[in-house]
Amino acid sequence: MTKDQEHQFVSELENNQNIVHKVCSLYTNDRDSHKDLFQEITIQLWRAYPKFRGESKFSTWMYRVALNTAITLYRKSKKSIKTQDYESVIFKIKADEYDETQEQQLKLMYTAVKELGDIDKALVFLYLEDKNYTEIAETLGISEVNARVKMNRVKNKLRTILNP
Amino acid sequence: MMDELDLLKKDWQKKEEHLPKISYADIYKMIRKKSSSIVKWIFYISILEFAFWTAINIAFTDAESWQLIKSWHIYEFTIGLMVVNYIILLYFIYRFFVNYRKISFSDSSKDLMKAILKVKRTVTQYVWFNLIMFFLSAISGVYGTLRYGPDSDKIVSAASEAGNETIFWAIIIGISIIAVVLLLGVIWLFYKLLYGLLLKRLRKNYQELKHLQV
Repeated sequence: MTKDQEHQFVSELENNQNIVHKVCSLYTNDRDSHKDLFQEITIQLWRAYPKFRGESKFSTWMYRVALNTAITLYRKSKKSIKTQDYESVIFKIKADEYDETQEQQLKLMYTAVKELGDIDKALVFLYLEDKNYTEIAETLGISEVNARVKMNRVKNKLRTILNP
Repeated sequence: MMDELDLLKKDWQKKEEHLPKISYADIYKMIRKKSSSIVKWIFYISILEFAFWTAINIAFTDAESWQLIKSWHIYEFTIGLMVVNYIILLYFIYRFFVNYRKISFSDSSKDLMKAILKVKRTVTQYVWFNLIMFFLSAISGVYGTLRYGPDSDKIVSAASEAGNETIFWAIIIGISIIAVVLLLGVIWLFYKLLYGLLLKRLRKNYQELKHLQV
């Protein structure tokens, strides 16, 4: 690892930090855990960086490492995820931007997504990030067919959560 | 359902503007912080270890054992050793804490490298101090048993019966030294395992930092 590589890594991460923040906001519920997870993901990325050979885009690689870190930590401390407090999600939407029903609906959806299991959550996250199934499959290390099947299942799951 | 998920997607992408921003300098700091957690563990383990030995001391020294120590004529020595031991142990815990603070707050890799070297030095001194303390108390114990223990008369008379007293005592002392050295070896191994692993990771971090200096 040379000094150049280090600077390159930090600036790449700085430019793509939104990815990490979004993963953090999905897997944590308060500002402190958000910060902790961000730091943890940063350290994991830095550790894995020597093995990153530019075969995929930096951002694709980041998705993979960030989600893996979040999932691993999530498995270790299931309790911290259980609080379904939508209000405390780090970035809130301004209420006046939406009409009441839509706002209500979104609130329900976010709560439902947060209640999903770790892998399903990762799947929804990549879907929300506008990734196609090829990219989703590559990031999560599963086959494209598998990604489609899983996504359908998640959609069904969300439907039952929303309309019990 | 599709509509709802797409609504969510739209909303999700809008949120991008509200995400927090972390500066280049702060990210840079984060990747330098690996050492601080290792040194934090050294600090915690030293406290745990301190608590462990204190608990053992309290649990196993009752009035009877003090009586024994008195009968061995090493009471003052033992008390003195204990006082010195605790004062210096507290001092080491303080040093570990200072090291931890220093590593958490040093930003340049040069300072961090200096701090890491300091931690290594403190740990080495700490282990040596503990070994010396164990050695001194073991020696005083051996001395007490041989000189004033219930069997010491037998040993002394056995020595004169054996004819050659010098060789007899040499053997007794030799056996005692071997026993003490073996005990110290076990304790050394214990420290080697406990702190050696942490120091190894620190060394790795140090090497990485050194590489960055070039």
